[in-house]
Amino acid sequence: MELIYQSKYYTLYQAEKERRFYIDFGQKSIPMNLCQLIALRHKVMSISIEDHFDSDLNKHGFEVLLLCNKEHLFILNTLEILDLKELVEHGFSALGIAATKQIASV
Amino acid sequence: MKDIARQSMSIKVESMDMLNGQIKMEAHASAIYLAMASWCEQNGFFTSAKFFYKQTEEEREHMMKIFKFLVDTGGSPISPEISNINHDYSSIVDVFESTLEHEVKVTTSIHNIVKKARELGDITTERFLDWFVMEQVEEENTIRDILDMIQVTGTEGVGLQMIDNQVANWID
Ligand SMILES: [Fe+2]
Ligand SMILES: [Fe+2]
Repeated sequence: MELIYQSKYYTLYQAEKERRFYIDFGQKSIPMNLCQLIALRHKVMSISIEDHFDSDLNKHGFEVLLLCNKEHLFILNTLEILDLKELVEHGFSALGIAATKQIASV
Repeated sequence: MKDIARQSMSIKVESMDMLNGQIKMEAHASAIYLAMASWCEQNGFFTSAKFFYKQTEEEREHMMKIFKFLVDTGGSPISPEISNINHDYSSIVDVFESTLEHEVKVTTSIHNIVKKARELGDITTERFLDWFVMEQVEEENTIRDILDMIQVTGTEGVGLQMIDNQVANWID
């Protein structure tokens, strides 16, 4: 397995022979195909981090993340969500299907 | 290292995000035109209602065209959530003016995606949008022609009914 990107809490790997990816979440490592990885990206990007700083919108500062067609469930705090956003952003660039940071911010 | 991601997906994820945004916009347009059809039916503009039934179908087709493109390129199309559809119009002129306003917004949105796709070097997405760019020229032109016809006909007396009858010229 090759390391694609490592953030503070998480690591994205590519398993060439299996033609899929792994995200190491610390407690467990989850295999994902690209579609599932894209679905994860969509969910993570849709999380409004601003809501975490408003006790009316997000009382406890946690997010429930259901992955891979409800196979896995994670409860993540604000810092973990921010870190996962970073992993997703840089991970997709490293995989070559997203713009590099430079272009994306133009 | 094998490029498994690139082999599975032939456009950039940023393009995918923008196209999912466009899917939503087309679905929204479809919903707006259906609301306009409802308004026309309730206010006795039955030919205009037919025009908007056709428009609502067309916008749905636009949406599906993008949806299928995302499938073909290995992306993930998202079924859009649509809310806040306005059903209140002050007149048939208001209906067509709102239509033109909305079509111009759609054109702008498509042009923006083309520009960003170009920046990303995503030629596939840029080429795909060619059809939409030209389609918008036609759609804007149709509505402008109808507004010109309204101007010429005038809204006094039987004008409104004449306007409605003439809308038939823009329903194939
Ligand atoms: Fe459209
Ligand atoms: Fe349109």
